[in-house]
Amino acid sequence: MAEIEEGRSGAWLSGFLAWLVPGAGHVWQGRWGRGLLLGGVVWAMFVIGVWGFGGRLFDPLNDGASNALERVYGLFDLGMGALYVLGWATGIGFVDRAELSTYEYGNAFLMVGGLLNYLVMLDAFDLGVGRKA
Amino acid sequence: MIHFLAMVLLAACVSLVFGVIGRATTSEQWRYGLRVFVEFVGVGLGLAWLLYWIP
Repeated sequence: MAEIEEGRSGAWLSGFLAWLVPGAGHVWQGRWGRGLLLGGVVWAMFVIGVWGFGGRLFDPLNDGASNALERVYGLFDLGMGALYVLGWATGIGFVDRAELSTYEYGNAFLMVGGLLNYLVMLDAFDLGVGRKA
Repeated sequence: MIHFLAMVLLAACVSLVFGVIGRATTSEQWRYGLRVFVEFVGVGLGLAWLLYWIP
């Protein structure tokens, strides 16, 4: 019984780590290849989204948002965990550069990257509780 | 052109993650990832073609 509880808490921790630093949840479980691959994709999407295409991150709590959908976009972006928090703290990625022709592509990369990291997080949790081998 | 390249890049990222987390064995992961990639790009091109005819 204690082993099951330990396994569950480990799964929650790996899920949280996977959200916080993309790929870290799998690495913490010892699945280095899977962690580096999945985390690498999310990190790459962040870099491509912000610096490659000039997209921006949205704030889900922004009361002054001109479009209510921006709050939903913010929830998507939030899936990138520490990358989002770091961007919020430093201002990186929160600059609106709508004048760029690739701005919307960048936004799509950031939102999809966040959503993919939610899936990666669930994958780390499922592996932790033994639902997946 | 850059729009198409961006879509292919996005499709590659999504299909890579879907392939790895969606199937168990390596060969199944490759097959599933490739299928998602082809469907992603194919549906994108199909929709682009359809929208071309809408003024």
